[in-house]
Parts: sequence; structure tokens; C-alpha cells
Amino acid sequence: MVEDTDMKEHIVCPFCGCLCDDIIIGLEGNQIKENKNGCAISKAKFLNHHDDRLEMNAPLDELVEKAAKIIANSKRLLVYGLSSTENDAHREAYKIAEVAGGVVDNTSSVCHGPTILGAQESGEAHAALAETRHRADLVIYWGSNPQFAHPRHLSRYTRAPGFYIKDGKKDRQIWVVDVRKTISATVANRFVRVAPGSDLEVLCALRAIARGKVLDVDEIGGISVKELTEIVEAMKNAKYGVLFFGLGLTQSKGRHRNIDAAIRLIQDMNVYTKWGMMPMRGHYNVAGANKTSTWQTGYPYAVDYARGYPRYQPGEYTAVDMLVRGEPDAVLNIAADPAAHFPKEAVKHLSKIPVINIDPKRNMTSLLAAVNIPTAIAGIECDGAATRMDGLPLYLKKVVDPPEGMLPDRDVLRMIYEEVRRMKK
Amino acid sequence: MSRVGVEALLTSGRTLKQGRAMELGKLGPEYLKEVAYCEMDTVTLESLGLEEGDPVLVETQYGSVIVSSKVDRRAEPGVVFIPCGPYANAVIGSETESTGMPKFKGITAQLFAAKGKTVLDVEKLLKKMVEGA
Repeated sequence: MVEDTDMKEHIVCPFCGCLCDDIIIGLEGNQIKENKNGCAISKAKFLNHHDDRLEMNAPLDELVEKAAKIIANSKRLLVYGLSSTENDAHREAYKIAEVAGGVVDNTSSVCHGPTILGAQESGEAHAALAETRHRADLVIYWGSNPQFAHPRHLSRYTRAPGFYIKDGKKDRQIWVVDVRKTISATVANRFVRVAPGSDLEVLCALRAIARGKVLDVDEIGGISVKELTEIVEAMKNAKYGVLFFGLGLTQSKGRHRNIDAAIRLIQDMNVYTKWGMMPMRGHYNVAGANKTSTWQTGYPYAVDYARGYPRYQPGEYTAVDMLVRGEPDAVLNIAADPAAHFPKEAVKHLSKIPVINIDPKRNMTSLLAAVNIPTAIAGIECDGAATRMDGLPLYLKKVVDPPEGMLPDRDVLRMIYEEVRRMKK
Repeated sequence: MSRVGVEALLTSGRTLKQGRAMELGKLGPEYLKEVAYCEMDTVTLESLGLEEGDPVLVETQYGSVIVSSKVDRRAEPGVVFIPCGPYANAVIGSETESTGMPKFKGITAQLFAAKGKTVLDVEKLLKKMVEGA
């Protein structure tokens, strides 16, 4: 008998910070058979959600007890990850960090952490994605390759027609500023190649030109002063501009100073016209991790509970720095893969200490972990809430049942928290 | 292995196929194929005496790694690219300048032809990284 395909609409994709909310999932029983509207990565995520799963190699209660024992016995716990899970799981992770007197950091420390530091210096000239689509006539992607990292960003927000921008191709200019001519640069109206490590100089030069200063050089960061002047004039003459920026600014020389300068450039532009800016957030709920961390601890990432109250210090309580110093004696990793994404000096320390790894799938960290606890995938096998790159909270839906015995991250973390509390009494 | 190398700035970042491969399984062949390569312009590739797909040794002050070579027809000499992942991380430093952020982009690297050498799979690379070899 052939089962009918049941179509579920308005599903939110839990992959990147775009959180596309127009996904249509075709189901046959508890099997996902189709993903309409999703990008190639979204399709891979939904259609292969059951592949390569972590195995539950002992009863859940035993794994929870083992994890809780490691945490209760630790002197310097690091809780890390959180960006690929939903908000309720975050709350439980912060409670564990607090009860254990440990540190809690999320993956923004290796993506848009410098964006937060820049905003703490200079404020936040934020935009919204809907506003961009309806109003923006000039969009700049700086150090960002959306065609690869956020595949539907252009088609949904910056090439799509809006209320005031009737034709997304004719009425809107898209520029790409990057050190490489990326795939996104090939579909943009203009590509500006900046010399590697020169973003801060270029941003400062743009500000100087905007303020009428005469620059006594021919070029800055590989860009002629003539072209820089043209860029400034076009930015001033836009009706509504948005600067989207990626890790090309936050991970390169200058880091948070690049963001600081970009924010100030956008603030300067608002003297002449309307400009906003937005970080291209990678993991689907990394923006949410910053928000929940701020709600619950007072700080967006790099939070230490060693004194019983939260303290914040990037560079000191950030995961890479702590691991390189050899400081943590245990790590609770949730929905992240530090073994695949940290420099090798940090990975080396991870291999020397007990790691509790909570994730639906196998990954490099699972190879190092002392305890692996598989969980349900948020947004596919359980519900939750997540925050889009522009700060909009969206509800993630449960589409299919998780594999037997797999609980959401929040439930496993709650069980660990209760067990740690019991052991600490 | 040739010790005549080409110097370039190494940058890392996302690719569509790397993102897709992560969802298919990080310990599988697809992920290895999509993160264990170094993209460069044709002049750099020819200077190294390589054909596309040949192994290349990428060396920085922090370490070295062998990956496959790949041509980026839009690239210019001087900048090479490894998709973000364990192979790029094997050659980047851990200094964060008190920001929490290591320098994932813009590291001075030297490229050498590594014909006959093998690209390690993810599990062997991890073993090599943690054993400090």
C-alpha cells in the first residue's frame, strides 16, 4: 500500500541564521520524504536527519549519572556550544554552569563575538530583514558569502521585490566587499576587492572621506581613493542602505575594531540618509544563545560563575582561551563540535579531560568524549524557540518523532542539572 | 617532497558543499572531500608543478597539513582558501588577542607540492592533532 504524502507548511528551517519559515515538508508516516523551498543544506538536514546518529550506548539514566558525576567533581567546568539548539535548552545549561560554579560560553566567541564587542563600544545600528526587503535600495555584503553560508538570503531578502522596491534586481544595488571574488561577488552588481587584513583601514578611510577629509594617498587597502569616494557618494545617495557583514570582518585582523569602525561608518551615514547593519549569523540559534545568555546571566557569552555570581570577560572566559591555557577540568558540550572548529592547541586540551557531548549526531567531539548523550533534533524532532539573525524570535516545530528513547536537549540537561544538585547537597 | 614553495595568505570560510556535508555526517567521505582541500589560482597551482587534485602541503608557523589542491578560477595569486573545518584549524594559531576569537583568516602560509602523500581522514587527523605529532 502506498501511503499518502502529508504536507506540513510554514516549517522553520533549523540550519542558518536566516531561519527560513516557508519550508514545506512532505511526510509519509514518520519519514520525511520531501523538503520544498529549502536550500541544498536545508534539504540535506531534513532528509538525512536520521543518518549518522549518535548511539545511546547505555541507558539514559546511567549516562546522566555519569555526566553529573563528572560535573559535580569538576573544579573548573566549561559549558560550551548552544547555538544549534533551542532556547529552553540554553536555560538548563546556564543553571548547570551556575550550580557547578563553572563557565558558560557559546559558539559566538568564534563567530560574531567581536560583533558584540564592537556594539558594546559603539552601539548597534540594527536593521530588520523585512525592512531590508521592502526598503533597501543599496545592500552591501562585507566579508560575507551568503550564496554559500546563507543560500536563500539573497532570494528572500535582497533580490526579492518589496513594498517600496518593486523590482529587486533593477531597483536595488547589491555590492560585495571581500578579499576573494566569491560566488556571491559574481552575482552582485559591484565587487570591491579589499587587500587581506585591510578592512579597518578601508572603513576608516570611508569615514574620513564622508567627513570631507582629503586623503594624501592613491589607494588604501588595495582600493583607489577615487573608488572609495564613489562608494561614499553612493552610500550617501542611497534612500535606505543595509550593511550585512560576516566573519570576513570578525575573524580577520582587527576583529572587534573592524566592527566598531563599521558601526561608526553606518552612524555617520545616518547623518545623510537611512542606513542599518546586521551580522550574518551562522548557526540558526547563535543569536538566540546571545539573547538567552544576556537574559539569564546578564552577559551575552564568556560568563564565569566561579564566585557564585556571573562575571564576563572575553579573552578570559572564552572557550578557546580557557582550553589553550589548560584551565577546564571538564567540558559539557551541547550542540556544537569544538573538536572540528577550534585550533589544534585547544583541541589538544579537550582530548585530555572528560568531555560530555550532547548532540543528535556523531561528530569529531563525539570521538573524544567520555560521555555521549544523543538527543532529538530541535526543529525537526522536537519543538522550541530560536532567534533569527535580525533578532526576530521564531517557533520551531516538531515535524516527526525522534528515534526511540531520544529526548530533547532541554530534558537531558534538566536531568543532569537535577542530578548535579542532588550530588552537591 | 619539493621544498620549493609558494607563499600566500591563507583564509578559511564556509562553502555550500561543506555545509551540506556537515549535515550528511562529519565522519563520512563527503565531509572529508568538502573540507580537505586548498583552493588556489591557476598560476599558484602551476608554479607548484601540480595538477588539480594533487596533494599539497600547507605550512604555517602553527603547523602543517596535507590537503588536495583545487583551482578557483576567480582567485588571484597571493590568497588561498581552505573551507572551515579541522584541516584549516590544523594550521591556524590559537592566540585571540583577548577577544576569544582565533585568527581564522589571513595567516601567512607556504604551499609545497606533496605528490605521493596522503590526505589523512578526519579521525586520523584528529589523532595526529591531539597527539601533537
